[in-house]
Amino acid sequence: MAEVEIKAVSKAFGKTQALSDLSLTIGDGEFVALLGPTGAGKTTALRLIAGLEQPDSGSIRIDGRDVTGDAPADRDVAFVFQQYSLYPHLTVFENMAFALRAPTRRMPEADIRAKVQEVARLLHIETKLDNKATQLSGGQMQRVAIGRALVRSPSIYLMDEPLSSLDAKLRGELRLELKRIQVDLGATILYVTHDQTEAMTMASRIGVIEGGRLMQIGTPREIYENPINAHVAARLGQPTINLLPAALFAGAPVGVETIGARTEHLTIARGGGDISATVKRVEHLGDQSHLHLDLAGRPVVTLADPEAGFGAGDVVSLRLNRPLFFDAKGWRVAA
Amino acid sequence: MNELSASSRITYRAVMVRPGVARRIRGLSDRTLAWLFITPTIVLLLAINIFPLLWTIYLSFTNYRANRANVPTIWLGADWYQSILTDPDIWAAMQVTAHFVIWTVVIETVLGFGLAYLIDKKFRGHGMWTTIILLPMMLSPAVVGNFWTFLYQPQIGLFNYVVAFFTGRAASSFQMLGDVTLSPWAIVIVDAWMWTPYVMLICLAGLRSIPDYIYEAAEVDRASKWRQFWSITLPMALPFIMLAVLFRGIENFKMFDMVNLLTGGGPGSTTEVASITLKRAAFESWRTGYSSAFAIILFVTVFGLANIYVKALNKVKSR
Ligand SMILES: Nc1ncnc2c1ncn2[C@@H]1O[C@H](COP(=O)(O)OP(=O)(O)OP(=O)(O)O)[C@@H](O)[C@H]1O
Ligand SMILES: [Mg+2]
Repeated sequence: MAEVEIKAVSKAFGKTQALSDLSLTIGDGEFVALLGPTGAGKTTALRLIAGLEQPDSGSIRIDGRDVTGDAPADRDVAFVFQQYSLYPHLTVFENMAFALRAPTRRMPEADIRAKVQEVARLLHIETKLDNKATQLSGGQMQRVAIGRALVRSPSIYLMDEPLSSLDAKLRGELRLELKRIQVDLGATILYVTHDQTEAMTMASRIGVIEGGRLMQIGTPREIYENPINAHVAARLGQPTINLLPAALFAGAPVGVETIGARTEHLTIARGGGDISATVKRVEHLGDQSHLHLDLAGRPVVTLADPEAGFGAGDVVSLRLNRPLFFDAKGWRVAA
Repeated sequence: MNELSASSRITYRAVMVRPGVARRIRGLSDRTLAWLFITPTIVLLLAINIFPLLWTIYLSFTNYRANRANVPTIWLGADWYQSILTDPDIWAAMQVTAHFVIWTVVIETVLGFGLAYLIDKKFRGHGMWTTIILLPMMLSPAVVGNFWTFLYQPQIGLFNYVVAFFTGRAASSFQMLGDVTLSPWAIVIVDAWMWTPYVMLICLAGLRSIPDYIYEAAEVDRASKWRQFWSITLPMALPFIMLAVLFRGIENFKMFDMVNLLTGGGPGSTTEVASITLKRAAFESWRTGYSSAFAIILFVTVFGLANIYVKALNKVKSR
């Protein structure tokens, strides 16, 4: 395991600027998640670190060594590809053993077998080892792809949305499992996802990336509580933060154009709040309900206790409780 | 207008809803109708494929000669088969054929795959080279035969000139088509020249079917280019290569036109492949019964070999 340092890396594909000026250091044994919408440049960032793509400018260091011009094989990274990238003509076992069979490793066959079986058990694919890679479901393929990386002990694991095609239950399970493995091995992981739950629960730091730019990096808590702009704020939190014109509310600081209100910033009462809104729809999620409100023509979504008994058409009153403030450009303004 | 479209819609629905189209056509059942449709094809197939085959099998057991059709036909049983299989001349022809098939297939596969590999690497100007390489394949064998007869001319032929240029031997000191040891290779060279592009095309399809990301995964897995070739490129392109070998093998087993044009089987019988022996027996000596038996033997041989091969191919594909 090693520290990975990315300095001012930019990459364009023709006219598309996939990444601009990305700087990021992943400490030894750290789990960093890159969170961003589709097309943000997440995969590009991983490919640059792996050496599958050459940066237009900037440098990449692994364990203090400049690897910017090195071939992928010389960087000692493991990559879990978004599209699995299994070897279709090999069995699951051979797929996972492929990297271990490198002639330079001289790993004894018995050790290879033991290692592959251990990882396969972890990922619940031990019964599939003799299947051909093409005779698997999407979720199984994805686990084989993870397994292919996990059998190795590289300087860094690069994982591109490795849990995206699993069902919710398995995803939850593997999330815990991956985190446990990472802690056990002290592995360095750069993990790409657009699922905020994965980022929040597994990462020691989250980098929010959008339009090829790293907007903010910090612990999940920092990102959640102190987003530097409205984009970052909108990335985290379920339901998504409500961005409302400051003019609707009295008493916002000067220069504030937009008020960001998450569920915890909104207190709902039957009356006596700052502003009143109409309930449009109530979504029951079991232990909680999503309340869809209409606030002066703007949609607002917040959580509510199902016991509260709101129904469509009810008029409620909202009170803001230390919300987030943003200026005209979307940057955060101190309260 | 509205009424019209409404009524046509109703007709359409009526057709769709009724269980059998055929019931509308004078009480024919669907089954009868199906037979009606495929009968012309079956009749044609019987007339131009199956009947001649059966007729040939029949003739191969008789003394029939096409140039003496009025001589009474005598049933000979398996006599022809026995005499063919014990005839050293036939075995010589089979050996010539085997030599020709094996060398052309080996050379074409190695060169074809090599060229496909290079073109797949997308070197500069690969598009133009692909077109140039494919040209020979598009010519007719008759043209190629005549064309190479000129190239092989000892005095004015370009081939002899080029060999002379590189080896220093006099151009007219050897005759590719007239020499007992050289002429088998002369036809191998022409066939390789003409059909390597074809093998290349099939191999290229195989190589192009391997997605880039497989190689990326292998790069990250720290596999050398050498290992990538042996454990990814070759196994994944193998079914395609085998297919090309099958096509070329069958095709060259019955090779006739080009050899006939270039050497006519000579000098002596050094390039007399089986099909030329067959043609001589059938249309020069007019031994129709004998040549029928030989044709059947050749057919069974190709068919048997091809079947074994296809089994192997399927095994590779489902591996
Ligand atoms: N090989 C390429 N050629 C051209 N454009 C590319 C290439 N790879 C990526 N891009 C462009 O770069 C941008 C970033 O792509 P990237 O694959 O990094 O996105 P991503 O964040 O991984 O998205 P997703 O969540 O959908 O996987 C996109 O606009 C994409 O169209
Ligand atoms: Mg991606």
